[in-house]
Amino acid sequence: MKDNEVKSSTAIDPAAYAAATTALRAEALRLLAAGAAAAVVGYRAGRRGSAQPFVATTPEQAAELIFTPACVNNLALYLTKAKKEVSRRGKLAIVAKGCDLRAIFGLIGESQFKREDVILLGVACAGVYRAGISGAPSLTEATLASKCKECTVHVPTGVDFLAGSLPEIPPMAAEEAAALARLEAMTRQERWAFWKEQFSRCVRCLACRQVCPFCFCEQCLCDRNRPQAVESTPRPAGNMSWHIVRAMHLAGRCAGCAECERVCPMDIPLNLLNRKMAQELKTLYGQEAGLEVQEKGPLTSYHEKDDESFIK
Amino acid sequence: MSKSISEKNLHALLDRLITGGARVVGPKRAGTMTLYEPLAAGNELTLAELPRRSSKETFFPVCEPILAYAKEEGKMTVTDVDLSALPETVLIAARPCDAAAPGILDAVFSWDYHDAFYLERRRKATIIGVACTSADDACFCTAVGLNPGERQGSDLFLAPLQGGGFAAEAVTAKGETLLSAHADLFAAGDGTALPLATPGAAPLDLGRIKTWLDANFEHPLWNQYAEICAGCGACAFLCPACHCFDISDEGSELKGERRKHWDACGFGKFSLHASAHNPRDVQPQRYRNRIMHKFKYYRDKFDQTLCTGCGRCIRVCPVGIDIKEILDEINSN
Repeated sequence: MKDNEVKSSTAIDPAAYAAATTALRAEALRLLAAGAAAAVVGYRAGRRGSAQPFVATTPEQAAELIFTPACVNNLALYLTKAKKEVSRRGKLAIVAKGCDLRAIFGLIGESQFKREDVILLGVACAGVYRAGISGAPSLTEATLASKCKECTVHVPTGVDFLAGSLPEIPPMAAEEAAALARLEAMTRQERWAFWKEQFSRCVRCLACRQVCPFCFCEQCLCDRNRPQAVESTPRPAGNMSWHIVRAMHLAGRCAGCAECERVCPMDIPLNLLNRKMAQELKTLYGQEAGLEVQEKGPLTSYHEKDDESFIK
Repeated sequence: MSKSISEKNLHALLDRLITGGARVVGPKRAGTMTLYEPLAAGNELTLAELPRRSSKETFFPVCEPILAYAKEEGKMTVTDVDLSALPETVLIAARPCDAAAPGILDAVFSWDYHDAFYLERRRKATIIGVACTSADDACFCTAVGLNPGERQGSDLFLAPLQGGGFAAEAVTAKGETLLSAHADLFAAGDGTALPLATPGAAPLDLGRIKTWLDANFEHPLWNQYAEICAGCGACAFLCPACHCFDISDEGSELKGERRKHWDACGFGKFSLHASAHNPRDVQPQRYRNRIMHKFKYYRDKFDQTLCTGCGRCIRVCPVGIDIKEILDEINSN
């Protein structure tokens, strides 16, 4: 009994994930068999204990769907025009963790598709693995992604179907908030030096852009060369411009799925930038991205009460 | 006669090369990871893990200027890069999957066009390979004809010994020259080598894969495996063998550079025509090019495979695309 107590206070019970998998398979099977969805965008198991995005199109494929702590991807990406080869299949059902759902609501708010165009298969999620985990270790403070330790949307709402239920989650240190606090405590010069160092490592593989549900521009400003707005070669000045332009473009839109940070091969802590922007938006306009479908974000709308003190 | 070198003497060798003006590039701790970077001293060398990026950047940098221009008083001057200023380079402790790659790339960089930037760096470089003693579940060098003790591409080859130090073996004349020039740092005898890594990937039938690729430019497999591809360049950028680059003119009307920088076939812009037509319109078509280039086109042209099985693309892929899984599938067809 005592052993169990210790266990429950350190690791998250994997049974909840297995239950969610069973529920998702049954619902996907129902939707695909009835023709209610042309495809179900979910996850399937990879060769190395990993999970990867999967587009199930037949009732048989419904049985391949899984939900495990390795299901890290934000699948909202596949609803955007950047992934037209998926979205043009017809009506899609999509598996969404709470954090992914925020991006989906954001995309609906930006008129990328309509709520009724998509079937939302929400999944109660206690958390997913941090980057670099292989195999299937137990889900503890050491293996859990930072974003999950401060998650406020474990159980998605406003969905068409909810799979699984939330297991007990032990208290965990808010490491990302602590990292942000350390950055905020720096002088401007120190902070500039910090980001300069971080961005100097960027090789411009653009993984951050390509996995971001909100980077759906068909012509990215940063790809333009006539005239060139941002240097596209991986050099310090252009790298700095690229990441700052991206942070500004995501302000008020990014809902904090932290996919950009997870996929960065150079380990640049990009979500700290996004989170800082989100915090500013909350302070200035009381807005939080993706908690509900909004027609306009604070940076694309005007209110008489808006703070104009910055206009000198 | 077999030789060996202690870790201390290896560091002393590197210090001596650095002091002598050579650029010594090797695995070095860089923040949260290990990268092949210029070493300031021999003791910066670390063999603990496979560097995050391959060693191709020793010869083919992420970005380099290929000319500079300036306009002064209405007069434009264009300056070439002085390649003679490139330093003699020693690449130390390249794992077999990295050491083998430059030899494969030489074919394309000296084919119809001779890439002076790459070739001059290659001419001035000596590669010291190191036997690999740790593999993970993404490693598959043994599937593509290499192995953790492979000497291909190395001028000098080191094998870690039990109790420390390395057995040293000259593989080429270049390696022999380096070894004899610093003979005082090497001892006779080779000791007992540490066991090699065991990647556990069975050899693929690369001829069979090529035959399948010859016949299946159009096949449902591409969509099945690559519909989810997000279209970034992480796989290509970490790959020891991917070598596509773009050329960009950057700067102002008055001053600037023409730069050669890494490109990737996963990018939507990669094959975008000036007319706005893109022959590779969707991501599975772009991913198909990655496999075709590595296992068909490069064999057609140069009779070599453009993959060393380092596994970096598998580890880094944001959406978990696993080239080994795809090759296994093709191999079994």
